[in-house]
Amino acid sequence: MSIPIEHVISLSALLFVIGVVGALTRRNLIVILMSIELMLNAANLALVGFNRVWSVTAEGAARYDGQVFALMVIAVAAAEVAVGLGILLSLIRNRDSLNVDDASLLRW
Amino acid sequence: MEAEAFDVAALAPLGFVAIGALVTLMLEVVLSRRAFVGEGVDPETRLVARARIGIVLAFASSAAIVLAMYAAIYQFELGFETAFGPGRPMLQLDALSTFATALIGLGALLSVWLSITYLPALRINHGEYYALLLLSTAGMFVLVSAVDLISLYLGLELTSLPIYALAGFNRRRLRSNEAALKYFLMGAVASAVLLYGMALLYGATGHTDFTGISQGFAGGGGLALSGLALVIAGLAFKVSVVPFHQWTPDVYEGAPTSVTAFMAVTVKTAGFVVLMRFLVLALPEMGEKVSVLLGVLAGLSMLIGNLMAVVQDNVKRMLAYSAVAHAGYLMVGFAAGTPEAWTAVLFYLFVYLFMTVGVFCVVIALAQGGREWDSIEDFAGLASQRPALAAVMTLFLLSLAGIPGTAGFMAKFYLVVAAVDAGQIALVLILVGTSMVSFFYYLRLPVVMYMQKRRQDPDAETSSSEIVVLALCAAAILYFAFFAQADPFGTGVRALDVAGRAADFLH
Repeated sequence: MSIPIEHVISLSALLFVIGVVGALTRRNLIVILMSIELMLNAANLALVGFNRVWSVTAEGAARYDGQVFALMVIAVAAAEVAVGLGILLSLIRNRDSLNVDDASLLRW
Repeated sequence: MEAEAFDVAALAPLGFVAIGALVTLMLEVVLSRRAFVGEGVDPETRLVARARIGIVLAFASSAAIVLAMYAAIYQFELGFETAFGPGRPMLQLDALSTFATALIGLGALLSVWLSITYLPALRINHGEYYALLLLSTAGMFVLVSAVDLISLYLGLELTSLPIYALAGFNRRRLRSNEAALKYFLMGAVASAVLLYGMALLYGATGHTDFTGISQGFAGGGGLALSGLALVIAGLAFKVSVVPFHQWTPDVYEGAPTSVTAFMAVTVKTAGFVVLMRFLVLALPEMGEKVSVLLGVLAGLSMLIGNLMAVVQDNVKRMLAYSAVAHAGYLMVGFAAGTPEAWTAVLFYLFVYLFMTVGVFCVVIALAQGGREWDSIEDFAGLASQRPALAAVMTLFLLSLAGIPGTAGFMAKFYLVVAAVDAGQIALVLILVGTSMVSFFYYLRLPVVMYMQKRRQDPDAETSSSEIVVLALCAAAILYFAFFAQADPFGTGVRALDVAGRAADFLH
């Protein structure tokens, strides 16, 4: 029994949309970071899911493009969060707030 | 494409900057331990020691960058055109990647020289600066030779992550924090969007390499098209094309000026080169539709960039909107999409490097006393106090505006010719019209510098490293204004031919 690809991609699209909406509407920095993670993992899910569709070459050899890509993305996402938390820490040292709306010195 | 030799030597340029980054990191630890041993070192000695360490680190990173550029050009001269990757090409070394590597290396080199006196002036002279700068350069080297979505994504992240940190490098300054925060948040969302687009493209075509995508793309289809739209949006963010430009003014203003100069020239070059390779290799048959989309982005960027630049009071912010406008000019070449247009785009990026580094170098030369002098009033009467600086600033601004007699004019000229040949008349009209608007804000600074009285009287001097950068940029702008196609000194190299050879990367 296997799960149809449509289900995987629907779930991935749903997760991605939740991530986008979260990143755009939430004001707490930590929550925004989590939303970005959600978007990346939605992409990972899509990559791994699509890999099942494209799992063999025309010659019949196995292919892992999507899964390899997803592994790379996991590594990059970890690095990205590290940089994000570093920026967040330096911000908190200067101003005691996690709300992105407080970052409003630069405009127009 | 067949699986080719897995040739590690092909990675030499990348290796030099990556090792350079590690070496500068270690050097700083070792040197500062030697300098700061003992308890009773007074702050003044500490500051001098830091400045000295900064110079050593700048030399080490310059050496790494020069070696990388040399390796890239040497390999190309040897005819070392190869595709690097396990089983199938991930990185393609060819004329385009060599040209872009040299260009990015030059941009990074000039930015390092700019930083030598600027970092101590702002009291942010830490060794990680050079390491981050080199790592980001390594990412761009990956990016310009990427022929696969995986290497594209990795290169893009390796480029961006160090720059997020660099933008916030002035840790104690709120504006720098804020620039880093905004750049990081918007950049992370953009790269997630890009990644999702890549996942959809992979799902629609079954390939992650550009040529494979072009074969799988033939049918089109909703999945492939939405993936394509997301990928183009993600890349457009990196090169600050409207409507993905909102981060540009905030980050340009808030980041330390040497970082602004670095990312203004190198990220733009890398982003446009990878966009060019992606469009040509992955979408050879999508010509018409994509060209309309790129044309709309180009028109919007030129209009919004130039109009918003008019009302700015901060020079760095004005230059940020001008960067958006220039991204729009470059996109005109993308909408045209002919080999001549690619040549013009590459030549434009080459000239743009000198104008932009030069203009930010003047802003840096004014910085002193732990703060930047970057509002338009700070330039008032500069000509009476530092006439040479005011003169080169005027030259750079005239070149950015595209006045005849400067290289900026030639760059725009080739772009317009290529666009007219490709039938993009509407875009050319917008380009010429908005360039007229741009005279207004570019010429505002010379007016302020030459016609007003100096209000403050900072006794800063232009340091020798800044003089070198300014002289080099000014000389290049004057030289390529007249000799873009000629070769007066018999070196056998014509700038436009080099760009043309690089643009010929399909064969």
